[in-house]
Amino acid sequence: MTDAANSGRVGADRPPVILYEEVVKRYGGFVALNGVSARVHQGEVVCLIGPSGSGKSTLLRCTNALEAIEGGRIVFEGQTLPTPALAAPVRRRMGMVFQNFELFPHKSALENVAIGPRTVLGTAKAEAEEKAQALLVKVGLADKAASYPSELSGGQQQRVAIARALAMEPEVMLFDEPTSALDPETVGEVLNVMKRLAEEGMTMIVVTHEMTFARRVGSWVVVFDKGRVVEEGVPKQVFEQPREQRTRDFFSHLSWSG
Amino acid sequence: MLEFDFSPLVESWRFLALGLSVTLGLSAAVIVSSTVLGVLVGVGRVYGPRWLRLALTFYVDSMRAVPVLVVLIWTFFAFPLAFGVTLPPLAAAFAALTVHVGSYVSEIVRGGIESVRAGQMRAALALGMTTSQAIRQVILPQAAIRMLPPYASIVTMTIKETAVSAVIAVPEFMRSSEVVSSQSLRPLEVYTVALVVYFLLMFPVARGVDRIYRRLAHLGRS
Repeated sequence: MTDAANSGRVGADRPPVILYEEVVKRYGGFVALNGVSARVHQGEVVCLIGPSGSGKSTLLRCTNALEAIEGGRIVFEGQTLPTPALAAPVRRRMGMVFQNFELFPHKSALENVAIGPRTVLGTAKAEAEEKAQALLVKVGLADKAASYPSELSGGQQQRVAIARALAMEPEVMLFDEPTSALDPETVGEVLNVMKRLAEEGMTMIVVTHEMTFARRVGSWVVVFDKGRVVEEGVPKQVFEQPREQRTRDFFSHLSWSG
Repeated sequence: MLEFDFSPLVESWRFLALGLSVTLGLSAAVIVSSTVLGVLVGVGRVYGPRWLRLALTFYVDSMRAVPVLVVLIWTFFAFPLAFGVTLPPLAAAFAALTVHVGSYVSEIVRGGIESVRAGQMRAALALGMTTSQAIRQVILPQAAIRMLPPYASIVTMTIKETAVSAVIAVPEFMRSSEVVSSQSLRPLEVYTVALVVYFLLMFPVARGVDRIYRRLAHLGRS
């Protein structure tokens, strides 16, 4: 990557936390990722944007080895990512938040947040639940500890899901369209929690259709199309002076012109 | 005009009660063992390696293809010839019913597991859980709740199917009824009572499980 390509990028002088090199992912004959190279530095909020099916979410799932890649490599903290079967030790160092929350319905909010440390790290129940309660406070759900997911709104469920991921004290947080399944009135509460995390210095990769969030909170924006990176840059440049025609096309499709 | 005479039943009530207790004991044992077997087979069919999945599929398909009566009689008469080990009737009935009912339980377990959204497994793995931790902590508890209604049918089916073990002279309730019937020559009365007893046994089981399910259903919805 050239210096020019990183112009204005905060933290670009530091070694990357995650490095993607010519990553290729296929589903049968469909090429989901067609040689993606990118990097994420400590403390950055990297927003992946682009049309549906362009490969953003696929890249995220490959990042914590939920999916295997067919070509190239992904390097996390200097180590090449193992195959999915051997990835549990790496995954526990990355937090992931899903479009459909994926809270565990048979567990209360508190148990959902505590289950990672309890099961994976063997943390004692009292200690794990104390920490879980503190995280629920952090996401503004102190009073919902005993509630089950079916009793919570979408926005509340997603905030519990963020707390669940944070309970593992991850080095990176991966957000896969965290507000796409939410009612409009609850999008804000989730984005606020994410914004606070970003301000605390959490390294984040966010697949999102929330352009306002990418613009205001993102520190680096990567535009995807058809399994490739079209362009990347600081939000101001990408949104105000996109270099590529395909980026401009994508933005023009976003605004309703009926 | 039919004349009812329930006195032979009254006279033999201890004998019939003993038969009923054998039915209940055998049913409980078979339900426990076939549930364990069914969970292992069901989990193996979803998550096991290919060779295991094929072997288990063959087991399940063959059990569904063969009447339980045939399995029972084969276990009692043919198994000793083939392996030189004679099983007492009760043990033969326990083994045959477990193997038969276990295949049905495994199908329910498999369906329950496969109905849990794939994202639940991803979420568990993303936390750093191993696949087996994810299965035990996240997938099976949800699958278990979803399995309750069909599982209730299996439980009632199992209690009823213990009746076939009368053919190898297991002294359970059906066998006791046969004995009383043939000694008293009052089949109408005896079998009417048997009918009512089986119904009274089964009805609360089906209703009870249904009730439990309705209270737990929300915990299995992801």
